[in-house]
Amino acid sequence: MSLEPSLQLDRVIHEKGRLAIMSLLAAAPKLSFTEVRDTLSMTDGNVTTHIRTLQEAGYVSVTNSFEGSRPLTTCALTESGRKAFATYINLLEQIVQRAKP
Amino acid sequence: MNSNSAAENLQVIRTLMERSSLYRRALAPITLFAGGIGLLTGIVALLLHVEKLRVFSALWLGVAAITVAGAFLLARRQSMKDQEPFWSPPTRRVTQALMPPLTIGLLFGVLGMTTATAQETADLVLPIAWMLCYGCALHAAGFFVPRGIRLLGWFFILCALGTFCLLFRPDSPSNAATANMVMGVFFGIVHLVYGTYLHFTEKRKDVA
Repeated sequence: MSLEPSLQLDRVIHEKGRLAIMSLLAAAPKLSFTEVRDTLSMTDGNVTTHIRTLQEAGYVSVTNSFEGSRPLTTCALTESGRKAFATYINLLEQIVQRAKP
Repeated sequence: MNSNSAAENLQVIRTLMERSSLYRRALAPITLFAGGIGLLTGIVALLLHVEKLRVFSALWLGVAAITVAGAFLLARRQSMKDQEPFWSPPTRRVTQALMPPLTIGLLFGVLGMTTATAQETADLVLPIAWMLCYGCALHAAGFFVPRGIRLLGWFFILCALGTFCLLFRPDSPSNAATANMVMGVFFGIVHLVYGTYLHFTEKRKDVA
């Protein structure tokens, strides 16, 4: 017996801030920390916390490097992150479809 | 979660994905490059008295071709530096938006080159047509670029219409020298000013 779609939603993604970060990263090969922060109008701390959670779940990879002498932090979705995001969207679509008469 | 919340979430996801897929290459170097070439060509054309319509059309079409090629090379260099694909979906969208008006502008130039008589001199008609086409191209591309490109598009369109009004003045300054001057000012100086503005205001990125 399959669970209700709403009960299958990934709790890691199903949080406003993390969902926004996943959405941004799903449409770009990679984004810098600053781009994520500025696009979502989040604080440094918020972005850091959410990205750490996504990283621990294996959904986001973070690369630290330098551009000249400036530190450069970029984030990208991992393969499992893309799969989890696609599954999450499918479940949302199922919830919407089920409500249609 | 109910269906309304799910639909709202899907809408938020769509909006954020669209925002993320905007064209993100720095426009300042491209605009400054275009402005530099435009201004230089305007000065050279004035000094060399480029007056024949055929030569005028060929010269500025050549400049347009060099500028487009240079813009692509600069964008490619940026994408290589960022280790991102050059022909990305945002780049494709911007190119597709630019194509129709620029193709019409190209057609006007080719007509100027091929249908003018050997003695026919340039006037303001072709610069006005090119400014209109270019303004429409920028406006269309502006939907996929986060900066004020659409406003620059409107600026070109309004300036083209303003210049068009000059044609009907009794002492109309519509001659080859003015045509070269208008091209140099709008495709040169305006780009340089806008590029300088972008250079100092484009966000320094990627610092965490």
